[in-house]
Order: sequence, then C-alpha cells, then structure tokens
Amino acid sequence: MDKVIVVNIEKCLGCKSCELACALVHSKSKVLEEAIVESPRPQRMVTVEAAEEFAVPIQCRHCEAAPCVGICPTGAIQRQSEQAPVVVDEDLCIGCKLCMLICPFGVLQIGPEGRAIIKCDMCLERLEKGQEPACVEACPTGTLKLVSLKEVIKTRRREASKQLVKETQAKEKTKSRKNHK
Amino acid sequence: MRRIVVIGGSAAGMMAAIAAADENTDAEVAVVTQDQTPYRRPGIAALIAGYITEPAEVRVFSPERLAQHNVKLLCPAEATNIDPQNKIISIQHDGKEEHLSYDSAVIATGGHPLIPPITGADKDGVCTFTTYEGAAEIVEKAKGASCAVIIGAGFIALEIAEALMHKGLDVYFNVRSRILRKLLEPDVSESLSDKFNRKGLKMLTGEAISEIGGEDRVEYVIYKGRKIATNLVVMGTGTKPNVALAAGCGIKMGPSGAIKVDNRMQTSIEGIYAAGDCAESPDLGTGLFVYSPVGSIGASAGKIAGRNAAGANQKTKGFLRAQADEILGMQIYSIGHSSTTAKEVNLAVKVHNLDASRLGQRGRTTKPFEIARLLTDRNGRIVGAQLVAKKYGSQFAWQLYRAVLEGANREQFLEQFNWPRMKLTEALVDLVESTVVVENVGEGKALTLADTASRKKINQ
Repeated sequence: MDKVIVVNIEKCLGCKSCELACALVHSKSKVLEEAIVESPRPQRMVTVEAAEEFAVPIQCRHCEAAPCVGICPTGAIQRQSEQAPVVVDEDLCIGCKLCMLICPFGVLQIGPEGRAIIKCDMCLERLEKGQEPACVEACPTGTLKLVSLKEVIKTRRREASKQLVKETQAKEKTKSRKNHK
Repeated sequence: MRRIVVIGGSAAGMMAAIAAADENTDAEVAVVTQDQTPYRRPGIAALIAGYITEPAEVRVFSPERLAQHNVKLLCPAEATNIDPQNKIISIQHDGKEEHLSYDSAVIATGGHPLIPPITGADKDGVCTFTTYEGAAEIVEKAKGASCAVIIGAGFIALEIAEALMHKGLDVYFNVRSRILRKLLEPDVSESLSDKFNRKGLKMLTGEAISEIGGEDRVEYVIYKGRKIATNLVVMGTGTKPNVALAAGCGIKMGPSGAIKVDNRMQTSIEGIYAAGDCAESPDLGTGLFVYSPVGSIGASAGKIAGRNAAGANQKTKGFLRAQADEILGMQIYSIGHSSTTAKEVNLAVKVHNLDASRLGQRGRTTKPFEIARLLTDRNGRIVGAQLVAKKYGSQFAWQLYRAVLEGANREQFLEQFNWPRMKLTEALVDLVESTVVVENVGEGKALTLADTASRKKINQ
C-alpha cells in the first residue's frame, strides 16, 4: 500500500461524519435524501467507537499480510496487487464468516441484511479517480487522513527528532543550572 | 484433453470446478447441478427478515464467473448414474438424457435436511432451508403467521429465529439437548440460552417436541405435554449426506455414512473425488476422518478435490473446523474441538476457563469478552477454543484460532495472549481448571494429537 488512512485520535470529536459519508458513498443512489429510505439500508464500513475518554474511528487497516485474505476458503477476499486495498468479491462469498473470526481488529461484519461480508474498500472507485476516500473527505477535524507511507514515516521521524531535541535541551538546562549552583 | 465432471453446484462443487479449471487450463470442466440459485447461507435469514427480496442478492458463483474460468454449467441437470468402468456419467439435462464421458469426476452432491422422527413432521407448514426454494417457502409461510417454532441446534437455525423475531413473530426455539451442542461446552451453551431467553427468544431446551399436530397443516406442537399454537415449524436439525449416486456405483462409505475419502479427497474408486456435505474429511487435530458439514471445510476440500481431479497431487493434513456468528447481539466463536466432538473421536481433553474479568483499567472492572474456554489434550496442547463476546471478539478469536491451528502449548500461549492494552497473563493467575470428565475414554485408548510439525501446515 503506498497510501494509508491514518487516524489521529486526539482530534476526533466523535461526530460520526465519516460513518455517514461511508454509508452514503456505498449506497445505491449516493444521494442522502434517497439513501436513508433505501432497502437494503446502506451500510457503513467505518465505526466510531468510544474508548475510555476518546472516540476512535475504526475501519479495515488493509493489513500487509492480511489474515482475512489468507483464511478465505473461496478467495472472495483479495487484493489485486500489493499496492491495492483488500476488497470483497460478493459473488464468491459463501458467508462462512471465517474472516470475521480472524480479523485482529474485529472490523469485518456481516450486515443485518445478511449479504456478503462488509468491509472497507478504501473507496477504490474514488481513489482511481484521484479523489480521497469518503470518510477522509468528510472528516471536519483532520482526524482521518490519506497519507503516503513515506510521508507518515517522515512526519514520525520529524516528531521523534523534535522530541529528542526537547528532551536533550531540558537535560542540558538542568545540568547547567546545577553547575551554576 | 482432460475431461472433468463436477456433480453438485454449491460451495464444494463450484470451488472444485474453479480450482480444476485453474490447475489445468487445457482441461474441459463441466458442472452438473440442479441448484438454479446457489446462495450464501446467511442470506436466508436476510430473506426471511425481509431485508432483501431478490434471490440474486444472495446468489453466489454466477454463470459469468464460471465462464471466466472456462467452466461449463449444465443447469438444471441431474446426474442419474456413474459408470466407473466406461467412465460415463448419465445426466438428465433439460428433460433429455445425456451421457458425459470423463477422465476424472468430483462428487459434491451435498446433504439434505435430517428430519427427526417426530409425529407430524411431514405436515404442510414444516419447512427446511437447505435449498433456496425451502428458504422461499419459509418467507411465504411467515407472512400470515404470528408464532413460529424452530427446531434445531446450529447457527443457521438461530439466525432464522432472530430473523423471524425481527418480523415480529413470537419465536420458540426447541432443541433436544442444548443449543450449539457440538460447538460449545454445556455451561457456555446454557449461559447463551439464558441470554437469548432474556432477549425474547423462547427457549424450549432439554427435550424434543413430541408431536406436530393439526388437521392437514401445522396448527400446534406439543412440548413436555404443553400445547403451543403455531402455523410454522422450521427444521434445522442437521444434515444427512446425499450419497445415493455414489453408493449406486459402488463407492465405499465411511462409518459416518458419508463418502469415504483419502487425504487427496479421492474416493474408493480411482479418478472419482468427493468433497462437501456428502463426504467425510480429515480432522486436523487427530487426522481421523469425520463428517463435518461446514461450508468453509466444504470449499477447502472442494479445492483440493478439484486440483487433484485436474492432475495435481495435493494432500491435506486435515481441516480445522472454525465457526463464528453473531446472534442477538452476541458474537460466538468456536474453533477446533469441543468436549462433545472430542469424545466422538476418543480424544481426552481438559477444559480451561479463561477469566478476564479482572482486567481492570484504573481499578475499573472491564470485560473484554464474556466467556472464553480453552481445550487441551493430555500433552497440554490446545485443541479447541470457544469465545463469546459482545463486540470485537475477533481480536481474541484470531489468537485462539492460531493457537488451535498450531497446536500451541497452553502455558506458552497464555504468555503471548494479549489484547490491545495489556497482557493477559496477570489476569490468568487464578485460571480455573474446570474439569470436564471425558467418559468412556480409557487411558490407553485416548489419542494424543498427531505430531506438531504436521499441524503447522493447514489445508492450503
């Protein structure tokens, strides 16, 4: 995967805009007024969960060696290439629910309307058009971001070095203070 | 050119056909099936609950998919005879008799519902659900009904019960012993029964319904001498292998009554393979051949049968049964053996209770899951696991699955077992060793698990 959805839980308000946008983009009509009366009901593939004092949007992580891909007996869960998101081919899903059992994040679900396994497809169609996934676009606070892995690593590295400098400076200060005394 | 005929068009048959065509692209693969709408089983509950109305929405293995793999679909067609000497399969296709010659064949004729000998079980209003038509009948009968009685013990029977409850029906759930008997330990079963009862599913456990009564259609059932008025009875009482065709050509059956196969899924006649609900399959833990009519095993066995039919030589060490479902807000996972299935294969097991209720954050008692059980054999290796959770149970279930698959040592496993925030080892200091006595298993007779190295590689 060259780009991943990164979640910054410190920014999440729990507004559930991502859930709404997700259900909408996966509905038949893709129009809110029509989607709410659609049958079967459009399903969201991202869930905002309350965890301690935080709200956390949880969706498929599109794992590198995805356990769900490995366990599916019919090959219904696949990724087209190493760079592509993990998607479900409904026509092959026999509903055995092994993927629900094996997902380390518990994000695979069988919808109430009992069709194939529902999981985040990273808005493949939108990605192909150069757009961001619907949840990322809808997020008002920037909790959800579509970032390339390189960028993630770069940011992390920068943050880590800043932290390191801060700590070192703090140490230096206390040292010099002691020396001064 | 190799000609491969697959008989049966559900998960095992279709996977066999696709795998055969992929294995040997020059082969000519044909599927003979009566089933016009192969569908995914969880779809029945959705149909009954009214979430969907079109069979196309739960259909799997579309004709287009088969065409992509160059698999020829003969439907509706019924195989009437196999002549293994001349290698000819006779079929009825569109009302005409045809003869297909083959080099290898796969039998995936599935199973049919096992109807218990209850008086009145043949009455109008008693439904089963192994075919799409059966499911459609339940939908039709549920329309005017106010009450339904489900007789069964498995996941799909429970799903149907939940769907009928969603339709606003009064639902009774009858099971002779206890729910999910083969999948869960007795106390886990009972605690789930209680939970379902509280949610409005009226459980009638411990005794089978003695009579289904009514003039010519169902009007009532008798349970423990009590009369319960209902117009709809759904039978989810298990599966019986459909072996008439195989038996007709002299293929041997195993002790379970299903088709006997070897580790290549080949039957007693060379060149004829079998998979799915009509055949036995090797159990990963013990290597013994057992009858386990589970979709995922059927599909995996079908793949192996198909590849071998196409000329490969693939052997399986065995399949690990793993099932999961969410019923009335409870996630239920069962992996590998339960004490019930262990008894059937003479495997001595010990049941351990994983207690996680002491896992507190800042002194608060939080429960990451409701119930968890580990089953170990005499060497302390994990052979089965069960888990009940309200939410996100799979973050533990996947670890249990891996442990059973690898036959991990219990103590080592507990050290590694973790959940996102903290290790579980501390919470397990007072691990309760509940003792489920496995009766009728003599010390000498009790099997220990096959060597661990063989367990590492699963069916792939």
